[in-house]
Amino acid sequence: MVDGVILTIVKSVILASVLMGFFALMTLIERKLIGRFQARYGPNRVGPYGLMQPIADLGKMLQKENVVPEGAHRKLYLAAPFIAMVCAISAFGLIPFGNVATIPGTDWTIHLYIANTSVSLLVVAAIGSLGFYGLMIGGWASSSKYALLGGMRSIAQLISYEVAFTLAVIGVIMQASSLSFITIANAQDHLWYFIPQILGFLVFFVAAVAESNRPPFDLTEADGEVVAGYHTEYGGMRYAMFAAAEFINAITLSALGAVLFFGGPSGPILPGPIWMLLKIGGFLFVLIWIRATLPRVRFDQLMKLGWKVLLPVATLNLLLTAAVVVYG
Amino acid sequence: MLGDWASYLIYVVVAAAIAGSLLAGSFTWSALFHKDLRQGRQKRRVFESGVSPGEFSPGNFSINYFLTAMLFIVFDIEIVFLYPIAVNLKMLGAFGFAELVVFVAILAVGYVYVWRKGALEWH
Repeated sequence: MVDGVILTIVKSVILASVLMGFFALMTLIERKLIGRFQARYGPNRVGPYGLMQPIADLGKMLQKENVVPEGAHRKLYLAAPFIAMVCAISAFGLIPFGNVATIPGTDWTIHLYIANTSVSLLVVAAIGSLGFYGLMIGGWASSSKYALLGGMRSIAQLISYEVAFTLAVIGVIMQASSLSFITIANAQDHLWYFIPQILGFLVFFVAAVAESNRPPFDLTEADGEVVAGYHTEYGGMRYAMFAAAEFINAITLSALGAVLFFGGPSGPILPGPIWMLLKIGGFLFVLIWIRATLPRVRFDQLMKLGWKVLLPVATLNLLLTAAVVVYG
Repeated sequence: MLGDWASYLIYVVVAAAIAGSLLAGSFTWSALFHKDLRQGRQKRRVFESGVSPGEFSPGNFSINYFLTAMLFIVFDIEIVFLYPIAVNLKMLGAFGFAELVVFVAILAVGYVYVWRKGALEWH
């Protein structure tokens, strides 16, 4: 049981707004950091330090003409970015930002999560995977060969790394004996799972980079090969929605990493939500750092890494963890 | 008081509202300000670098994608079976561990077969 109806609606709106605001801020920070990594300033013209840049981008995208390409399946073409974005935002909904909190000055208590179910981890993986449909439908419905190739590629990449990803977190589940994020976060009071699950964490991290389609695994939009991948034929707001879905997926995966391996919302002095945002931000910084550092891999290398390296390593981690949990 | 799933459903509705409002916003803008823009065939052409895009045939793509999808189904279902045993492993103890090892061993036989057959290569 959680809070009442009105409170849940308010919490949902706040969480979704925080997510969208965090996403907007992170796009700016990403461009700033990439700029700094390349010894230039990055966006600094719109507002102080370029802080208004995301709002300017949104306004620009909103003004673009709606063009549906010739031969495209109109309904599916328009539905694809919607599917991708709804799934991306929804998957974030089960991430906990703390346990129960009392509002200062009153005796009101609220839960700092939308819902705590016994299968949260599976639900996040499932809803996140539903977002793949957006990519595939978008690629197919555009009636463009680059979009189709990009869509096929992204599905092949995403499902390959989904295997490594779901296998890598089993170690955490064994240690916590639960799929609920609250229980998993609470079980890390003494020791973050990042230390006993170092092997699982490494597999998880590589798979998360690939799952969020970020460099060096951004094969789906490798400009030299498939132009822009599944969103070649999308422009304006529809393109922005795909980009948002992709970045929000990266945020969700970072949040998963924070909850499963870095103790979730727990931390000294600061309140839980701040710690969560800091941990997510830390993950995203490493993702941006990797993007600025590593060149893109080839597609066969990508598949080889997923199936021939990550899968066996994750299985080894699974067996080791099982042995330690039962006999340790 | 709401149940957990009802609470989550409310959040999903909010998510759909955000995505829907973005889509609706761009359509409203188009309806209001883009009436006078010229419509033409060239504008709606799909992307191709400087030449005619040619015929589009969605039927043909590499067999590798099928292979990957089949491998995914096999391994992902194996993993779905591993989740319940992972949750209950502490309770099941040595029996659960033995079951797990047998299960993974059978999986490993299939994995080695698939590897030797070359299905994990991308041609």
